[in-house]
Amino acid sequence: MTNCPATFSFRAVTKRYGAVMAVDNVSLDVNGGTFFSLLGPSGSGKTTLLMMAAGFEVPSTGDVTYGTREITHVPPEKRNFGMVFQGYALFPNLTVAENICFPLAVRNVGRAEREQRVLTALDLVHLSGFGDRLPKQLSGGQQQRVALARALIFEPDILLLDEPLSALDKKLRVGLQIELRELQRRIGKTFICVTHDQEEALSMSDEIAIVRNGKIVQRGAPEQLFERPATHFVADFLGESNFLEGTVLETDGAGFVRYGAQGTTLVQQSDVRLEPGERVLVSLRPSKVSLTPDCPPNRANLTSGTLAGWSYRGTEVHYEVNTSLGRLSVNAPTWQSDFFPTGGQDVWLSWPPDAATIVKDDRVTREPRQGNLPRPPADPEGNGSKYVKRSDHPQQENVDVEAK
Amino acid sequence: MKTTSRRGILLASGWLIIFFLLAPSLIVFPISLTDTSYLGLPEHGFSLQHWGTVVTNPVWRDSFLQSLLIALAASAVATAAGTLCAIGCWRLSSRFGEFVRVLMLAPLIVPQIVYALGLYRFYATLHLLDTYAGVIAAHAAIGLPFVMLIVGAALVNFDIRLERAARNLGATPTQALRRVLIPNIRTGIISGAVFAFIASWDELIIVLFIASRKVRTLPRAIWSGVNESLDPAIAAVAVILIIVTVLVLSISLHAGRRQPARNPN
Repeated sequence: MTNCPATFSFRAVTKRYGAVMAVDNVSLDVNGGTFFSLLGPSGSGKTTLLMMAAGFEVPSTGDVTYGTREITHVPPEKRNFGMVFQGYALFPNLTVAENICFPLAVRNVGRAEREQRVLTALDLVHLSGFGDRLPKQLSGGQQQRVALARALIFEPDILLLDEPLSALDKKLRVGLQIELRELQRRIGKTFICVTHDQEEALSMSDEIAIVRNGKIVQRGAPEQLFERPATHFVADFLGESNFLEGTVLETDGAGFVRYGAQGTTLVQQSDVRLEPGERVLVSLRPSKVSLTPDCPPNRANLTSGTLAGWSYRGTEVHYEVNTSLGRLSVNAPTWQSDFFPTGGQDVWLSWPPDAATIVKDDRVTREPRQGNLPRPPADPEGNGSKYVKRSDHPQQENVDVEAK
Repeated sequence: MKTTSRRGILLASGWLIIFFLLAPSLIVFPISLTDTSYLGLPEHGFSLQHWGTVVTNPVWRDSFLQSLLIALAASAVATAAGTLCAIGCWRLSSRFGEFVRVLMLAPLIVPQIVYALGLYRFYATLHLLDTYAGVIAAHAAIGLPFVMLIVGAALVNFDIRLERAARNLGATPTQALRRVLIPNIRTGIISGAVFAFIASWDELIIVLFIASRKVRTLPRAIWSGVNESLDPAIAAVAVILIIVTVLVLSISLHAGRRQPARNPN
């Protein structure tokens, strides 16, 4: 059981339910031994992907493979993938020990070995002495551990987790995030986790794939996705973001772009070559903006505004500022906010050229998500630009196609 | 003032309904203890003579055992077939499953006398008239809808993730059925079996059509007894019929209560 875990892959997988496309031509490799998260809003198709990995759903087209094995049509019990279900799905008629023993019992493991392994598993999840209880006599966190022990006792190749922490309260969740992460590192197995909670995905994963409308929008390490979101959707879904919309004025050879937004000239770093006149959408994290009561010297990006509101969040202070660019959000660490804000006060906002990211505009047309964004003016270039592109399937936005 | 009178009416109608529900059944208890030689209430005192007849007379004893055997066999067949059918329809969860479900309720929808008449013609060609197999099959058919309905209701509350979990953990479809699905809908299956048993236990119309001499169930024996003589032993047999039904029903109630009883608070 010490052999190196193999790569799990979806190859051009599509899943259709009647007219609804739940998963739309997804190809994805999950490297062996990593903690991989599928992150997306409900109805995005992430659960359908997990169900196809587990073998409960068969793709309409495409293949599922593990290592060199094609497993598209292999039934769930022959895949040797453990799974922690949403709500845990512990057998209510069996005790905790019987639940954990279930995978061994159906495999006809001998009695003595069975008992030994159940005791070890109970110990692994810190539930020694709870073996004789029924699942409903345990707390949510304890049930989650039983589900984990049950899914791991038969040495599965991969552990699949369907919203593993969603049933728990916030404080417990944070503790278990760390525990799950630590467990994965210790046993070195591949974990594939489905979640809609961006914080959970960021804190636990080696890699995240953002799922939307049955497609993978972007995949990468948590910090890469957070710092360099590829599209408006990713920037908006992973944490808070301001969006600035403008037109390219000029580019230099060193990867800097000057663009005009609502009459203000701003500078932005860009990996992509842009032509003057192209429209750009820029995602700017509220925590990347510095707010000062006086005009700071020598800043690449600078705008002034009036303080519309603020709220104290403990470790940080959140400000809402009305500027000529629209209403912008700023999060400043509490220890750095050394002035006492008053409503209507004039403040200055500034940020360096590499603080923000140019993102692809994949907004759905009828969705004014960000209050700080003035409605985009009609495209003067006749919609020929590379970045201002509306989503192709706005009608699919709210279709709930998650497999039950 | 007004509320008291309304309360009075409510109470009175409640008792009236209870009286109409129970009195016709309970009247057989005193009749079975009558000291007269005809079917009537006791006149000078209670007597156990008619109970003695029932217990010693091999004809009554035979009918009782026959009824018991037929009801047990019919409910076993109905429970096995009905449970599997309900699970199948539940798993299909399609229009076809819905169609099968309605089809299975046919014995409940078709008037029993029409069904009995059809069976009579059908059994004549199959040489099943007046056989145990024939009566058991017919009674299993009328018990099936009860099992289907009750097990179907139990399945609505069954979390499909439990079955998926079993499969994921390595159980074959059969193992998942035996170890997870059936134990979790056990209460429904037991209730279904009880209703199937009762449906057969007190069934008369079909038996009148398809059985004559060899197969003679308890309801059939009562029917003949009432037609031929007004032997008070019939009342004693009726009491036995009621007691067995109540006993079997209490099994169902007990099964329903056991599940939560396992868990304190």
